[in-house]
Amino acid sequence: MGSKSVIIAKDLTLAYKPNVPIIRESSFRIRSGEFVFITGPSGSGKSTLLKSFYGELRPQSGALQIGGVMMEQIKPAKLAFLRKYLGIIFQDYKLIKEWTVKKNVMLPLLIAGYSKDVCEAQTARLLKHVRLQGKEDYYPLELSGGEQQRVAMARALAHNPVIILADEPTGNLDEYSSRVIWGLLEGANEQLRTTVVVVTHSIPPNLEVPYKHFYIEEGKIYEIS
Amino acid sequence: MKSLKNHISLIIPLFAILFAVEFYLIIDRLIADYEVRLSSDYSIVVVSKKPLTLEELKVVDPGIQSMKEIDSTLIINRLKENSISVNYEELKEYLPHFYRVYLETLPSSQQLEELREKLSKVDGIERVETFRKTHRKIYHFLLFVKNISKLFLFIIFVTSVMLVFKQIEVWNLEHQERMYIMALFGAPLWMRNAILVKLSIIDTTVSTILVYITYSYLISSGSIVKLLGIEDLSIDPAQIAGDMLWLFGIGLFISMVNIIIVSSRQYRIATV
Repeated sequence: MGSKSVIIAKDLTLAYKPNVPIIRESSFRIRSGEFVFITGPSGSGKSTLLKSFYGELRPQSGALQIGGVMMEQIKPAKLAFLRKYLGIIFQDYKLIKEWTVKKNVMLPLLIAGYSKDVCEAQTARLLKHVRLQGKEDYYPLELSGGEQQRVAMARALAHNPVIILADEPTGNLDEYSSRVIWGLLEGANEQLRTTVVVVTHSIPPNLEVPYKHFYIEEGKIYEIS
Repeated sequence: MKSLKNHISLIIPLFAILFAVEFYLIIDRLIADYEVRLSSDYSIVVVSKKPLTLEELKVVDPGIQSMKEIDSTLIINRLKENSISVNYEELKEYLPHFYRVYLETLPSSQQLEELREKLSKVDGIERVETFRKTHRKIYHFLLFVKNISKLFLFIIFVTSVMLVFKQIEVWNLEHQERMYIMALFGAPLWMRNAILVKLSIIDTTVSTILVYITYSYLISSGSIVKLLGIEDLSIDPAQIAGDMLWLFGIGLFISMVNIIIVSSRQYRIATV
């Protein structure tokens, strides 16, 4: 694997309270285009680790580099800039309830400053891709959980992010919706070479892409081949 | 319904602020008009051994607007009325010159005292009568009214700004999730707060229009001048219309400052 590292952690310690580390002095590297799973028991710090990747939690010590940006002392403006290159998916979807499906998907494009025509075209293409054409003008609460997660997926893909970060993306979904979401994540990784980092309890058995697996236990991160 | 309640919660304090500001502006203008009237009615009397010219007095104080000599016959007539037995023709020859001196503006008590001292030093002037007691009463009353309106403005302003702040904080909490999600995708602060700015612009516009309607009614019905007991003074409705732009600016400025303060405290987690 000669490709560039997009996430580098060195002796990374993460904590919400001083001297109560969730992740302790862990080092790892994620390369561009990799599909990565982070697993571990409940409360082991999987979501905490993901939060540090999108800048919601600063490292207490050690170094964390995301796309070449040092996260230890990152300023809000730089963080906003970095987030334009990330696509984030949550277990609870985090869709804006007052906005239509179309506007939710458009959000990253609007932030990136694309013209209205580009936003419209890209949104239509993505909604077709996630099999939600015809539901553009629905509001999130009018959709099922699986559909909402597909909207979130379309939003995460809208601006062709460098890294997709997914926190339990299928945690609340039925089998069919889960298969669709995994298919979309695999597609983004295979076709667009997007780096995908997924926090989950269990890795789907029938995944077709090669992946890297990190396991968190008692604050330490282990790479499992 | 909830949305309407939210709008009203901001419109009421904004209306109070703008109403108080406009009230202050009206009072300030009325006082200025009143001062002009008072200064045209008010004069000081100067007694001089030799004739004086306006130019001479203007050198002493440029605030002197005009002067008028008091006819000595008037003084003699007054003596006659009191049946004082003197040779009035002879007396006329010896009487000094009396002048009524008018000022451009109504001076403060201190300015008046300074003017009196300066005039007393002018060659020939024997006496300067400023009617200090009457002046002081009028001047202090004006000062009192001015300060009361300032105090009124200050109290309403502080209370209302606090209410505006609270309402914007409520909006902020209501839209917190949306702003958080936007922050997660890298939206800049202005974009995240666009909804608050939009709501503030709407409510400031509504408040300004309401203030305009209220004052237009109060002025056309003559309620303000009646209330203040100054029926001989008038308020120009065109000036009220002109003030609305200022009021809109003030309302918007207060809202924006509050949005900046509220948003600077928000999403520390989302933005580290």
